[in-house]
Amino acid sequence: MNWSIERKLPLFVTVLLLAVVLALLIIGYGEVRRASRQLANARLQRASQQLAESFQRSLAQYRTQTLAVARDPGVVAFLISRGQHAEAQARAALAHIALDTVSNIAAELWTTDGQLLLRSGRLRSTAAVFPATDSAAVSPLMQFDTILHYQVTATVRDGAQVLGTARHVRRINLNAQARAMLTGLAGGDALLLLGNAAGAPWTDFASVVSAPPATVLQSATPARYERGETKRASAAAVPGSPWMVVVEVPSRLVLAPARAYLRRMMPIAALVVLLGALGGWVGSRRVTAPLREITTAAEAIAAGELDRRVQVTSEDELGRLGRSFNTMAAQVTRALQTTEMRLRSVSETAHDAIIAADADGIIQFWNPGAARMFGYSADEILGQPLTVLMPARFHDAHRTGIRRYVATREAHVVGKTVELAGRRKDGSEFPIELSLGAAPVNGVLSFTGVIRDITERIRSAAALEATNAELESFSYSVSHDLRAPLRAIHGFSRILLEDHNAKLDAEAQRLLGVIDQNTRRMGQLIDDLLAFSRLGRQEITAGRVDMKELTTVVADDIKRAEGERNGKLEIRIGALPPARGDRALLRQVVSNLLQNAVKFTRGRDNARIEVGSRLEGKQTVYYVKDNGAGFDLRYADKLFGVFQRLHRAEDFEGTGVGLAIVKRIVQRHGGRVWAEGKVDEGATFYFTLPFEES
Amino acid sequence: MQPHGVEILLVEDNPNDAELTIRALKQRNLANQVFVCRDGAEAIDFFAHGAGPVPKVVLLDLKLPKVDGLEVLRHLKGDPRTKSIPIVVLTSSREEPDIERAYELGANSYIVKPVDFEAFARAVADVGLYWLLLNHPPQ
Repeated sequence: MNWSIERKLPLFVTVLLLAVVLALLIIGYGEVRRASRQLANARLQRASQQLAESFQRSLAQYRTQTLAVARDPGVVAFLISRGQHAEAQARAALAHIALDTVSNIAAELWTTDGQLLLRSGRLRSTAAVFPATDSAAVSPLMQFDTILHYQVTATVRDGAQVLGTARHVRRINLNAQARAMLTGLAGGDALLLLGNAAGAPWTDFASVVSAPPATVLQSATPARYERGETKRASAAAVPGSPWMVVVEVPSRLVLAPARAYLRRMMPIAALVVLLGALGGWVGSRRVTAPLREITTAAEAIAAGELDRRVQVTSEDELGRLGRSFNTMAAQVTRALQTTEMRLRSVSETAHDAIIAADADGIIQFWNPGAARMFGYSADEILGQPLTVLMPARFHDAHRTGIRRYVATREAHVVGKTVELAGRRKDGSEFPIELSLGAAPVNGVLSFTGVIRDITERIRSAAALEATNAELESFSYSVSHDLRAPLRAIHGFSRILLEDHNAKLDAEAQRLLGVIDQNTRRMGQLIDDLLAFSRLGRQEITAGRVDMKELTTVVADDIKRAEGERNGKLEIRIGALPPARGDRALLRQVVSNLLQNAVKFTRGRDNARIEVGSRLEGKQTVYYVKDNGAGFDLRYADKLFGVFQRLHRAEDFEGTGVGLAIVKRIVQRHGGRVWAEGKVDEGATFYFTLPFEES
Repeated sequence: MQPHGVEILLVEDNPNDAELTIRALKQRNLANQVFVCRDGAEAIDFFAHGAGPVPKVVLLDLKLPKVDGLEVLRHLKGDPRTKSIPIVVLTSSREEPDIERAYELGANSYIVKPVDFEAFARAVADVGLYWLLLNHPPQ
């Protein structure tokens, strides 16, 4: 299911409203119910109280009447005479109790021993009730056939002597009219019941009914009970009688207002929920419509429609979103155009050929550099396979390579730079250097190649090789051809000296000695020069070189070779970290520097040479320090030049190549050399080498 | 010049070097049967006729006119009849590729001729003595 905001929001609003409305309904219903129950209780209690009071008033009247009869002198006299005298007066007294109403059914005079002396009316009383006091007493209700009756009894006395009783029998009229009248008093919907507190009979004033349960009769507050239906009833005793009244209302009538409330509120609640749902839907539409527009626009931009913008004009957050979106789209477009322009400018300016092809090797992009290099215009070449650009012997390898890369991403050429041959439109071949990249463009694999015509480079490489070869042959010639005449000069001057010694005077012999010395020196110069030139071409085999060990060995060799000399010679070797380089060449560096130091301290009584080092970043600075002849700092730059010497040959021998060799070796290791010194105070030679991690 | 009883064949284009070499050999009494070829072609010709005398040692310079020393070396060491003749390369070249190539081609010794005459004489005499007197070629 598509749970879009457009659906979720109204649903959420509806559910929320429904919950609130239901809660309100339930609470309201409860409140109304409670209120109406309280109201009903109060009404029932009031009604029962009033009814009881009304019965009490009526009964009080009947009692007064009966008492009046009992105190009538005629009646007293009648009873004293036990019916013998004053019957007329007694009958007249009884007549005070009007027998003209339906309620008044009999009036009687009885003796204490239970003899009826006089009687008016039809119904005879049942049992005598002797009032406990001087007042008249009311009997419980009694049932005779369908008639409910009761009697009011008063004692007839003669002074303190009880003569008998006057009885007033009354009936309770049971008919619809009486009932309607009483019901009307209680409010119309209530039912009035009258009966004995002790039990049956009870009446609803229309007929005799069963007595309400004790729970109702004994409860001080209104209680519920079942009689045909659930009722709420309030009981009240009728004072001065053994009677009780009960006012009852069907519970449904009590709860009617609550029901009515529900009935009234339900449609309102439904309307509120409906309106809420509608509002939610409209609101979500208002929110999602601009969002949908922005989404559509974003998709359009993503699909390449770069000038697409959204029309969201409101001032709220959505409006801001829309404006931000437009700004962003504009910037993206600008950035894209900038990038595109830059790329185009790069590809158009590039001297190299820049070519793009799809996964099938079909050319999709062709820059002017490519056009110049291969001779095809873009119109001619776009859509053609890459094989057009290569000699036939590469075709199979090319197709296999592309297929393999597309299938397995196994790269042999992709991501690398290789040298191959290209084929121009005119069919001619030329050497190329190809850098090939592969990347998905819009999800489709695309190859991009940058091709450089390396004809010139190969030509100059060949030229350089030729030059090198020439140089080598030159060195060879120097080595061979310069040495031969020297050897002849030396050889023949020696022969002259040996074979014709007798004919030569001392001066001639001295001159031959000079020739001898110079030819040897020349030979040394040639050898050093060759060694120096060889250094430029020699391969460096880099490895870890233990400088401490190397220096110790070299120092021992030199000391041994130096042998006897005037004064002490001390070579102190400090901590020397390992270096990365060619052991044989580094040995030469150390050897040359030490020999130098030994040579220039030869005049000292206490020659001291110190070899040490310090770390400077990734490099180690090694130094060889002596307390020898030193040099003038002004000529420091000449120290490392070939055949440059700061001392006269008769002071210190040498060809002036040693330090030049040191410099060349150190430079070929990526280091540098320099020197510090002072005339007669010694010199320090420094050189740096890459530090080798141990 | 008929090469009879040749013991040492010196292939050397430089007459001065040749003279110095012969003098050095002479001082050790080794120069009796020295035959000198002035270029590579001559050296190859020396062995061309088969029946000629077989020297006990060839002292060969590398830098020679016409056919250079390495070519002579290859020729002699490639021929079954001459390949057992000891060949000592005597040259001015200190270039290592030359030394390597000479040994690859079967040179028996390689001597860089020093400029110093005494050293040169000593070297030539030692090598001559060794190959003539001390070394016993396969029978």
